[in-house]
Amino acid sequence: MSGGVRLEGISKRFGAVRALDDVSLEVAPGELVALLGPSGCGKTTLLRSVAGLEQPDSGRILVGGKDVTGAPTRKRPIGMVFQSYALFPNMTLRGNVGFPLKVRGQAVDRIADRVEELLDLVHLTDQADRFPHQVSGGQQQRAALARALAPAPEVLLLDEPLSALDAMVRTRLRDEIRRIQQVVKITALYVTHDQAEAMAMADRVAVMNRGRMEQVAPPLELYDEPTTRFSAGFVGNRNALELPVTDGHVGFGGALRVAAPNGGSGRAVAFFRPEDVRFSANGHGHPAIVEGKMFQGSVTRLHLVVEAAGETARLYADLPSREAAPLPVGAEVRVFVDAANVRVFPVDG
Amino acid sequence: MVRVGWVGRIAFFAAIVAYIALPMTAVVLYSLSTRWTSNLLPDGYTLRHWREGLTETRLQQAVLRTTWMAAATLVLDVAIVVPAVYWQRVRNPRIRILTELSAAIPFVLPFVVIAFGILRLAGRYTPELLGTPWIILLGHAAIAFPFLYWAIDGAMAAAGISRLNEAAQTCGATPVQILRHVVFPNIGAGLATGGMLVFATSFGEFALVQILVGARFENVSLYSLNLLTETSSQYEKLAVLTVVVFVILFAISVAVVALNRGQAGRFLPGVRAAEGGRSE
Repeated sequence: MSGGVRLEGISKRFGAVRALDDVSLEVAPGELVALLGPSGCGKTTLLRSVAGLEQPDSGRILVGGKDVTGAPTRKRPIGMVFQSYALFPNMTLRGNVGFPLKVRGQAVDRIADRVEELLDLVHLTDQADRFPHQVSGGQQQRAALARALAPAPEVLLLDEPLSALDAMVRTRLRDEIRRIQQVVKITALYVTHDQAEAMAMADRVAVMNRGRMEQVAPPLELYDEPTTRFSAGFVGNRNALELPVTDGHVGFGGALRVAAPNGGSGRAVAFFRPEDVRFSANGHGHPAIVEGKMFQGSVTRLHLVVEAAGETARLYADLPSREAAPLPVGAEVRVFVDAANVRVFPVDG
Repeated sequence: MVRVGWVGRIAFFAAIVAYIALPMTAVVLYSLSTRWTSNLLPDGYTLRHWREGLTETRLQQAVLRTTWMAAATLVLDVAIVVPAVYWQRVRNPRIRILTELSAAIPFVLPFVVIAFGILRLAGRYTPELLGTPWIILLGHAAIAFPFLYWAIDGAMAAAGISRLNEAAQTCGATPVQILRHVVFPNIGAGLATGGMLVFATSFGEFALVQILVGARFENVSLYSLNLLTETSSQYEKLAVLTVVVFVILFAISVAVVALNRGQAGRFLPGVRAAEGGRSE
C-alpha cells in the first residue's frame, strides 16, 4: 500500500486573492479523499500544491512521510490525472503509459511489461497502438489514469477527471476509477465540484469554501451531520430558510420548531433535505401550495410555496412519484419537518 | 447572393496560375534562349547557359555558401527560439512583451539600419567578428527569428504545451526531456513553416551581406547583383541562377508541406477523430 499525505497549514495567495487559507488535511494510506467545493474555493490550487505545480506561501506538504514542500514536481512521488486528459498527442496510448518509465531510464522490457499490465488494468489493451485523437474521451482518460499509475506513485492526484465527459461515460468511469484505486490500494486526492461524484467515490469528503476547509467527514456523516452552514447548504440540496429566533427557537407555523444555535443573532438559517419534508393527511402541519412538479423517476420533486414568519418562502419536497401523481399544480397540502432532520446555523455562521 | 459558375471558377484559377507561372516560365525560356529580343518567343534554344552556369565554380560556391548560411541560421534560430518560447509559455509569461517587441524590430527597422547597428555593436564589443561570415549568421538569425517565433508560439498554443508540460512534469520528466519528447514532436507544423521562412529569408537576403561583409561572402543575391553590374552583363546566366534558386526553395517548400500533411490537425486541442475510435 502507498504512503499517506499530510498537509499542514497550507496558505497561498494570488495577488489580493487568498486561494488557500491555513488548510490542513491528513489522508491515510490507501484512502480516497474528495476535495469538494464550488469554483474558486481553492480545491484545485490545493491539489496542484501537492503536485508541485503551485508553490504554497506557507505550510508543509508530506507525502509518504517525506517533506516535499520545496521539491520540484518531477521529484515528487505523485501521479496526476488532468481534467483535459493531457495525453501527449505524438505518442500512442502505449507510448503515453510508458512515458513516465522511459524518462526514469527503466529498461525497455521492464517498461513493456509494466505498460501491458496497466493497459490491461484499464481495459485498453485493444486500443494500445492508437493515438489519443483516435479514441474516445473516456478511453483517453483511462489511458491518462494508467500513465499516472505507471511509476507506482505514493499518491494519485485527480483534478476533475470526469468533468469533460458526458453523463453516461462519467458514471461508468467514476466506478472504474474507484475500482482501480482500490485494486492498486493507492492513496488518492480527487478534486470535484460534483457532490454526487464525491459522495459515491470517496472514503472521506473534504468540503472547501473560500480557501478554507469547512468539514472533512465520511459521505454519510457529511450528508447527515453537516457541521457548518456552508456544508449544510452545499451538500444534499437542502432547503434553506432564514427565520427569526423566538424564545430560543426557530420555526414556522406547525411545520417546524427547532432550538436556535448558541450565539445566533435575531435570525437563523434552518436547513433540511427535500426528502425530510413530510405531508400531513390529518390537518396538522403548515399549509403549502404546490407551485410546480419535476418528475425524477422514482421520486417527484415538488416546488412548494409557504408563508413562513410573515414572508413567502419556497421549499423543495421529494415524494414517491406514485404519491405525487394525484397532486395537481395549485393544490394545497399541509407539510411538516421532523426537528431531528433539521440543522440550524446562525445567519452569519 | 452572386453565384460563381464553374466557368468563372476555372477562369479565376487559370488567371492565378498564369500570374504565378508566367514570370517563371519566361525566366526558364530566357535561360534556354540563344537570343530573345524582339519576338514573343526566343529566336532559338540552347543548353549552353545551363552548362556554363552549372559548371562555373563561382556560381556553385555562391549557392553552396548561401545554402549553408541559411541552414546555419535555421539551426541557430531553432536552438534559441524553441526553448525561449517554451520558457515564456510555461515559466515566465511576463517576458512575452519583451519577446514580442524584439520580434517586431525586423519589421519596423530597415535592414540597412539593422546592418549598421550590428556593425557598430560588433565594432565595440566583438571586433574579431567583423568581416567574417559569423557576423552575417548573427544578423540573419536576428532578422529571421520573428518568422520562427510567431510560428512556434502559435504551434505551442495550438498543441496546449503548458498543459502537456505540466503532465510531463508529473510524469517525472526533466525540462530537456520535455523539450525533446513532448515539445519538439508536437510543434512540427509550426517548426516546418517557420523554419522554411527563416531559410528563405536568409537565402534571399542582400542588404546585411552587402553591408556587413561584402564581396568576401558572395552569396546568391550578391552574385546576382554582380552579374548585372559587371561590364559584360550575363543575363542568361542570371536566369539560370534564378531558376536554380527557385527550384531549391520550391523543393524545400514541397517537402515541408508533404511532411506536414495531415499533421497539423491532430495537434489541435480537443480534436477527437472518429476514425476507428469506438465510443465508450
